[in-house]
Amino acid sequence: MADPMNVVGRPTPRLDALERVTGQARYSPDIRLPGMLYARILRSPHPHALIRAIDFAAALELDGVVAVLTHENCDIEWASGDRANPRMLFNNPVRYYGDAVAAVAATDRHTAEAAAQLIAVDYDTLPFVLDAEEALEPGAVPVQPGGNLAPPFGALAGGGAAVPGPAVYERGDVEAGLAESDIVIEDHYVSKHHNNAQMEPRTAVAQWESGKLTVWTPTQGITNCRDDIAEAFGLPYEQVRVICEYMGGGFGNKNQCQDTDLIAAELARRTERPVKLELTRKEDFLSIHGRWPTSQYYRVGAKRDGTLHAIELTGYSGMGPHIKSSGDIAGIDFYQCPNVRKTVHTVHTNVTTSANYRAPSYPQGVFGIASVLDAICHEIDMDPVEFHLRNATRQYRDATPYTSYGLIDCIEQGAEAFDWSGRRRPAAVDAGPIRRGTGMAIGAFTARLGLSNAMLRLDDAGTLWLHAGVTDIGTGAKTTLAMIAAEAMEMDLDRVEVVWGDTDRSPYSVGESGSRTTSHTGFAIVEAAEDLKRQLDERGPPGPGEELVAEASPNPTLDGEQRYSFAAHFVELEVDTELGGVHLTKYVAAHDSGRIVNPLTATSQVKGGVIQGIGMALHEELLYDRNTGIPVNPGYYGARIATHLDTVPIDVVFVDTEDAHGPWGAKSIGESTIIPVVGAIANAIFNATGRRIKELPIGRDRVIGAMS
Amino acid sequence: MTGITRRSFLGRSSAGIAATATLPALTAGPQEKAAAQQSGPAPRTRIELTVNGESHALEVEDRWTLVEVLRDHLELTGTRVGCDRGECGACTVLLDGKNIYACSYLAVWADGKAVETVEGLARNGVLDPLQQAFIEHDAPQCGFCTSGQLMSAKALLNEGAEVTEQSVREALVGNICRCSNFLNYQAAVLAASRGA
Amino acid sequence: MKAFANLSPATLAEAVELLGAARANGEIAYPAGGGSDLLGMVKDELVAAPDSIVDLKRIPGLDSIRVSDSGTAIGGLVTVDTLAGDEGIRLRYPVLAEAAAAVGTPQLKNTGTIAGNVCQRPWCWYFRQGFDCLKRGGDQCYSVIGENQQHAIFGGGPSFIVHPSDTANALVALDAEFQVAGPNGERRVPASEFFVLPRDNLQRENVLDADELLVGISLPASQAGRNGAYRKVMDREAWTHAVVSVALTLDMDGDVCRDACIVLGGVAPIPWRVSAAEDVLHGQGITAELAQQAADTALEGAQPLAKNGYKVTMARALVRRSVLEVSGTA
Repeated sequence: MADPMNVVGRPTPRLDALERVTGQARYSPDIRLPGMLYARILRSPHPHALIRAIDFAAALELDGVVAVLTHENCDIEWASGDRANPRMLFNNPVRYYGDAVAAVAATDRHTAEAAAQLIAVDYDTLPFVLDAEEALEPGAVPVQPGGNLAPPFGALAGGGAAVPGPAVYERGDVEAGLAESDIVIEDHYVSKHHNNAQMEPRTAVAQWESGKLTVWTPTQGITNCRDDIAEAFGLPYEQVRVICEYMGGGFGNKNQCQDTDLIAAELARRTERPVKLELTRKEDFLSIHGRWPTSQYYRVGAKRDGTLHAIELTGYSGMGPHIKSSGDIAGIDFYQCPNVRKTVHTVHTNVTTSANYRAPSYPQGVFGIASVLDAICHEIDMDPVEFHLRNATRQYRDATPYTSYGLIDCIEQGAEAFDWSGRRRPAAVDAGPIRRGTGMAIGAFTARLGLSNAMLRLDDAGTLWLHAGVTDIGTGAKTTLAMIAAEAMEMDLDRVEVVWGDTDRSPYSVGESGSRTTSHTGFAIVEAAEDLKRQLDERGPPGPGEELVAEASPNPTLDGEQRYSFAAHFVELEVDTELGGVHLTKYVAAHDSGRIVNPLTATSQVKGGVIQGIGMALHEELLYDRNTGIPVNPGYYGARIATHLDTVPIDVVFVDTEDAHGPWGAKSIGESTIIPVVGAIANAIFNATGRRIKELPIGRDRVIGAMS
Repeated sequence: MTGITRRSFLGRSSAGIAATATLPALTAGPQEKAAAQQSGPAPRTRIELTVNGESHALEVEDRWTLVEVLRDHLELTGTRVGCDRGECGACTVLLDGKNIYACSYLAVWADGKAVETVEGLARNGVLDPLQQAFIEHDAPQCGFCTSGQLMSAKALLNEGAEVTEQSVREALVGNICRCSNFLNYQAAVLAASRGA
Repeated sequence: MKAFANLSPATLAEAVELLGAARANGEIAYPAGGGSDLLGMVKDELVAAPDSIVDLKRIPGLDSIRVSDSGTAIGGLVTVDTLAGDEGIRLRYPVLAEAAAAVGTPQLKNTGTIAGNVCQRPWCWYFRQGFDCLKRGGDQCYSVIGENQQHAIFGGGPSFIVHPSDTANALVALDAEFQVAGPNGERRVPASEFFVLPRDNLQRENVLDADELLVGISLPASQAGRNGAYRKVMDREAWTHAVVSVALTLDMDGDVCRDACIVLGGVAPIPWRVSAAEDVLHGQGITAELAQQAADTALEGAQPLAKNGYKVTMARALVRRSVLEVSGTA
């Protein structure tokens, strides 16, 4: 570890831990306002259907029902709901099982629920398509008017003309590279939709007062949530206030504003009363996005000495009817390779919309590429650690230097902590039904820099008020940022008060997504503190009734460099070849995240990411019935979300790197933690059994199927 | 855009456009669902509950769950609702000392019984050793499952039996943490059991 | 949930009367023991909305376990947690204590009753997601050409649900007798006749009528030397139903098996007793080969669907391992 500073680098309990362990922490579902109505959504029972008519007269007749919204009387566009096509709050046709059809506001939730069922909807059912590759076949039913192939993510993000087509990345000559390779592996990997499944179901409470709209909602980014709401209602930003004091996790699916925020706001506007819209857990699984399913076709070539020479990936990502995120399949960039071609199709399908879930495009991509590379190691009889030391990325896409680089350290120190050389054995050496194996995989995740804002106020009592636009989704951001402020101001942490989670009281923040908060907002705090210290030097401490105030909005950029965090994970497990079970026995996660601001919460992030990855690898999936287009298992029970007994002790290793950017070289951590997990486990299963399982989740059925 | 008042804004679109149609269905469900209209007021019952040592006499609708009464009527919002189906554990409370899912238990069934919630753990401003251990071990991340984890841990320690790593995992298994901070929860409960 | 009345009868007779009266009035009434599963189904409208729920928890005398040398009586309202922890049950009927321990979570065990656990409705994902399947009065079992990973390999058709109860398997293995109360008084039903296949009754998984209640369970005296175990394999480590389970009792005389009972869970719409496999063991010294032979015999005649053939492999291994383990041969 880097030398501890005064505050930064010391394990520090969360500033708001007391509120979280006493039940005092106020989450959006805890908000109750006088005269508040309760709202419920009616959802499509069909994966694809045209609504011919909706009759909600009976619902309105029910005592206590105040308003009903449908596509016929509400034409608000949910701008952040789709980057490729207009997405309204209520769409016709409906394009997935669970698509919102109507919303009801009533005096209590039971009445709202009963009223929703009294809405009669006449549907013309349409053919549907669930699978991305099938959706691209000639004659497939169009999910969106423009066809099922979406424009490449880059084109959408750049705001350019959105012409449908795959995203293509290329360097070198992949065909020549494959021809020059001594060994070529050609294979196909499949990952599934799986849900973020954050504990707090989505709830939005909206209230209009004198033309100003306030929305209490669980969001990862109060600023972008407010901006989206303002855009939808044509309001200036100052007429919208978003509050999120505490929120119960998101892992990427509480970015931007959600349709629930807009529906609650519109119901409140029409009824002139506060409205609380609550989603059930099933609705949360169906209508809030999860990780997109992929189909990945690889051709990978290497030289006999283990040098990687060519990688070709042709991939298909099934995004559901709407494009909310990149749809990328990532992981190839972790390797040096002269010849690369990646072609990824993002495809509209009639399943629930996919978008961001912790390291959105990575764990599924790493499952594929790490498995293929492991197969190459096996073919040429090379130890995977040696292979990775030889082939791991040194420069981003072999061209751009990293600002700091700890990947080799992660591999070496992780392997040592794991005792890789002692534990690693050839593939499939156990004879009995229980077979032990080891596996590894690597990861990298951006530690971008960018615009953020922080404000510091030093009052006459010596309290430092830190205003930051975070909500602290569970990462410990509030604490991390307070530690940075205390360090920068050379103060004790207990003199810092954080003002957060309210757009009227906290400044712009990029939002707690992309593992950016520490680098972005943390750096803004350091800059603001420089200003505040200068003021202190010039004017001395504030006198009675006075305050010193400093604000910074830095927008640092990199010149000819890329900034990344890195990871290498090692796992040992046992496969019960007769019962199909996989039991993890040892796990080491080595991470380069630059300077660790709070080792206590950073370690929690790593452990949490790893265990989410274990669930993804072994049992979680949102499973669709192909005949009806209806998912059969939305919920914690059905989707087999990990429990206390699905855990394994995890050794966390932080390697030391010095980075010239961010707050004292802190990089990123939240998302890199889940990236290598599935690949490492899949490789360990091969090492144990000699069988490579190429479809997730690696459940008992697939293990037994592979063994027979 | 500026100058928009609530009044002018309200004029933008109209509500209440009705159309004709027939088929009601939230899921591909059975026909009896069509008969959703209620007749008469919802049956209610007077009950007495002791919550965190304080007794409450109240009239509840028979269909209200215990967690609904705690959160909406007694304003004890520390008990969370994560699934409302007994498949996550966020709503865990103690009923006569045993941990149960308050989302899957009617309030009328708790008539005459003692309920303990997260709000009752700290006494006279002093945290329960479990709460202290949870803070020190960084057990809550997002914190939404924390109240439930605490109550299941409390039920375990109430039993007075020897606490082991395995018994902690088994005692908490009915409480999912999607931040997946399971290991810290387990360590915290073990530490609290040894300190107590 | 739609509104309903909670009724709290003070006696069993009153409870039966309430259920009968509702039926006579064309109303819908459901009995509730622990009530967790019932409330979930009512919330999800998997069953018709009730006019009333008849809460059995206040009926005295149904929540005790009496273990004696001549047999054991378990009240229907005994919680799964109490059953799992009962010293007498653990000692004399370990297969039942282990099956109870394998149920759900502490919270579910603290409220759930033995009667409710035995009588729980299917957890087939089509049923639970509200598909209009055979079990809900519809005209098809969606699993047949659908996602049938979790479905029956024995006794299926026309519905392919598997029975979800852990304790039911143990009770069949123990030759339990079920005490049923109804409008015409009490009747006793052997566990082996209590559960019914879909081909016999599509709407229910047991012989209970709508106004009947499972009020108690009798176990025959436990024989000295009879050992037992319940082994449950799930698709996560806990808090779900068995993919495959085995309830096994063995009566051993040294290395020789005097008597055996093997019941498979998770493979059929009812607890699936495999008598032919038991016969393989009777009177024989247990060896690895014999255990394998019994396991092979147990799975003879299995008829897997497209996606659940792995259950055959699993069940075979589970039977073999359990026999070796319980006989002390492993």
